[in-house]
Amino acid sequence: MATFVVATALTVYHVVLAEWHAHEGLVGLLAVCGLTADAPVSESAPTLGDALALSAPAVIVLLPLGWFVLCTWRARRARQRHLDMLALVGEPAPGYEATVVDHGPPAVYCLPGRRHRVVVTRGALDVLSDAQMRAVLEHERAHIEGRHHLLHLLVDAFSRAFPGLPLARHAKEQTALLVEMIADDRALRHHSRDALAAAMCEVAAGQAPQGTLGVGGPGALIRLRRVLTPQPRPHRVTWLGVVMASTAAPLLPLLVACAP
Amino acid sequence: MRQLGELEAEIMHRLWAWGRPATARDVLVDLSKTRPIAYSTVKTVADILHSKGMLKRHKEGRAWVYEPTCTRQQYTASQMQEALGGNPDPVGTLVSFIEQITPEEAEALRSALRAARRRSNA
Repeated sequence: MATFVVATALTVYHVVLAEWHAHEGLVGLLAVCGLTADAPVSESAPTLGDALALSAPAVIVLLPLGWFVLCTWRARRARQRHLDMLALVGEPAPGYEATVVDHGPPAVYCLPGRRHRVVVTRGALDVLSDAQMRAVLEHERAHIEGRHHLLHLLVDAFSRAFPGLPLARHAKEQTALLVEMIADDRALRHHSRDALAAAMCEVAAGQAPQGTLGVGGPGALIRLRRVLTPQPRPHRVTWLGVVMASTAAPLLPLLVACAP
Repeated sequence: MRQLGELEAEIMHRLWAWGRPATARDVLVDLSKTRPIAYSTVKTVADILHSKGMLKRHKEGRAWVYEPTCTRQQYTASQMQEALGGNPDPVGTLVSFIEQITPEEAEALRSALRAARRRSNA
């Protein structure tokens, strides 16, 4: 996403400056960037073109940032409202670090942020065994400690800034799934695969389906299959190779372009 | 500000538990058993709850009588449905353990779990 923003900003900058390129070529471009010492410095006042050349890329960078700030603020306010509600109807869960809400359908979620909290419904307490509940709570704690809501906010801001962009839609879906997988892995460090998988089944199946359905439903199945099938940890050499390849990939064009 | 929120909760808890209309004075008497508190504070917070739509009130003689607009269960149900249901809060508000799925998907989850258990037992 960062690559997209930078690339688009640069593209717009170049499109606006296209005429200069045509007239002055590469030396002119370097002059514009102030890279050549003897370049003639333009004395004239900044024209409309200059302003456009700077403001258009700035808008492309500032748009997602602005959405991010706005969404963060909105989410904070909504969390505050929800905490007020919990103050009215929430009770500490006996034996767990969580808040219980007297609500039938089983559900477990966390409120991230500074005044974070894990909330379970009475229905979830009823259907989950002790081991299953502990696995789920570990999963939610991973979300809180990893500040995963910021990732959700980031991709959401990006997709609002560039609506209709397939990249934004995919980023949103994939980030949501990956973040859940990270939390699943954290829960599996101390809890059994069976407990977490069974808890997924119970909570997912017990929720009363209503309104829009199946939003990321396949995600639940992907996660469950992943939790149930133990994957061998990648060998250290494989791991090193992946890290090196992903570092080298973005640098490759630079190396090619700058090679003597 | 948080202090006010706690007092709101205390007043609502009492009115829900009593299950009958009550004046600010009734609430004050009960609250004073645990700590000293001014009548004006209780009255102010009761009026805030009224303006929030949590309490309804009518006059009996010279005193306002307050009563919850809905039961605790109704309130919880509507709030939870809003938070988890079809019209979720802004992204990043809360992170659910698992999203809502259709009955068919739930069946697929269960059969995947059953298959895994058979494998581990075999």
